[in-house]
Amino acid sequence: MTYVWHLGVMVSLYIAVALSLNLVIGESGLLSVCQAAFYGIGAYASTLLVMKAHWSFGASIIGTLVFASLSAICIGLPSLRLRGDYFVLATLGFQIILYSVLYNWADLTNGPNGIPGIPPPRVFGIELASPYRYCTASFAMAAVIGGFTLVIVRSPFGRLMQAVRDNEVAAASLGKNWLLVRLTAFAIGAGLTAVAGAFYAGYARYIDPTSFTVMESIFMVSIVVVGGAGNFRGPAVGAVVLVLLPEGLRFLQIPEAIAANLRQVVYGMALVLFMLFRPKGIAGKYGFD
Amino acid sequence: MLVQLIANGLANACLTALMATGFALIYNTTRIFHLAHGSVYVVAAYAYYAAAQYLHWPQFVAVTFAVAVGTFVGCAIELLAYSPLYRKQASTTIYLLTSFGLYIALINTVALLFGNEVRVFPTTQQSAVSLGPVLLTGIQLLEVATSIVVLAPLMILLRKSNWGRLIRAVRDNPTLASTTGVNLASVRRFVFAAGSALAGVAAVLAVLDVGADPQSGLPVLLIAIVAVIVGGIGSFGGPILGSMIVALLQSIAIWQISPKWSQAITFGILILFMIFRPTGLLGIRRRIEEVIE
Repeated sequence: MTYVWHLGVMVSLYIAVALSLNLVIGESGLLSVCQAAFYGIGAYASTLLVMKAHWSFGASIIGTLVFASLSAICIGLPSLRLRGDYFVLATLGFQIILYSVLYNWADLTNGPNGIPGIPPPRVFGIELASPYRYCTASFAMAAVIGGFTLVIVRSPFGRLMQAVRDNEVAAASLGKNWLLVRLTAFAIGAGLTAVAGAFYAGYARYIDPTSFTVMESIFMVSIVVVGGAGNFRGPAVGAVVLVLLPEGLRFLQIPEAIAANLRQVVYGMALVLFMLFRPKGIAGKYGFD
Repeated sequence: MLVQLIANGLANACLTALMATGFALIYNTTRIFHLAHGSVYVVAAYAYYAAAQYLHWPQFVAVTFAVAVGTFVGCAIELLAYSPLYRKQASTTIYLLTSFGLYIALINTVALLFGNEVRVFPTTQQSAVSLGPVLLTGIQLLEVATSIVVLAPLMILLRKSNWGRLIRAVRDNPTLASTTGVNLASVRRFVFAAGSALAGVAAVLAVLDVGADPQSGLPVLLIAIVAVIVGGIGSFGGPILGSMIVALLQSIAIWQISPKWSQAITFGILILFMIFRPTGLLGIRRRIEEVIE
């Protein structure tokens, strides 16, 4: 049963990440490849706030949200002026720089050794020590984040994001500040992902930089793209499918070492085939055109 | 110390230049941000490793085989993935995502066949040669010699030959080129073949120098892309200059700051260039040339 709760936690975390990344990729049309860096910023910031500054878990979530959004603004201001391939390249560059900071700033992050012994978070006086409790809490977190993205998308600001995505010049001619709209979407996406990252740190109890690599960022992008970008269903479906897929390989009795590579072959091919034959993904709305 | 670092850097720059020129050849002509170029490199590296280590083919045959496999994979990607997208007039985002997918699928297929660990090539003699104040290994000299032998004729061909003129015409304006009777599909196939062959050459040299690693594709390609941007998008000689500059800056960073920050500094340079000098170093000159022509 513990295994089922574990899967529940992982699916919830990735649903939260996918829905917040969807604000950037799906609703704003920005293919950002540094989401794992924000996930990592969230994990490290909340852990350091709890362990070194002795904040409560709830307060650290707020701090993480603010900190990650501010870092996203610093990254977004230069990157968002670039278009298409160059925006993707800039976010790739920032992903590598942030990974390098997590890896090399040993005084703060303990470098490649990571931070062990993270205490289980306490929420409303309940210690989230058992997998069942953690699953419930992370599901609630995913639901709050999902609900929040839904509110944003349905608000006038959501329509503005889609307008800037579909025709930047037309939006600008109506007096809309496209840079501000994109920057806001980028910052919100980063902040929400960081919250999921904080829950990841509290669950894993140990974090090190290797969980926040370029490949992890590409995996997050694949979740949104394979599931389908531009609506609520798509990214959620993508998270469920791509997180549970490797577990299916486990039941087929495929050895662990091979399964890791096989899983990546499968999702790489899925990405290619969806782009060739169905750019909207399994259940998405936006086809990157 | 610094001179030695610079010499090592320039030897590395030769590998980067091979990758960067291949990428630029493809990007300038087709506007496809071909990240799967990194997987062509990985596949060619393991083709060479398998031919030389497992099959014990003679050196010359193994190198030819590796370059041929690289060329084949590059052309297969163009024919099976990019061409259909081109016919659908897909957006650049779709090309990029396809490229990401191909990269992941290919390098992990290689990892399934050969394992995830680095395969070091037992080189027969790692003899060092001293040239004045610097000490270079035989393989580093081979890297420099090979890249000159490969890149110099390519640059001349791109300037002088008929094929070079066609490629430059497609680079400048694909629609106009096709209305004057240029077969776009065959030019695209040609640049994919040539670019992938360059990646194959770089891969063989890298296997001899540091060994084969399935995860090395993206890092190697990204440094090459930095060199392309620094050198100037649109220029064919720019990436070579860019590779040298990136290597020099990396050497200085290693010397003055610390080796562990060299990656962060490289990508910092990339972002600075994209914002403040998006045309790169040779980008502007190309425009003047166009005016003169």
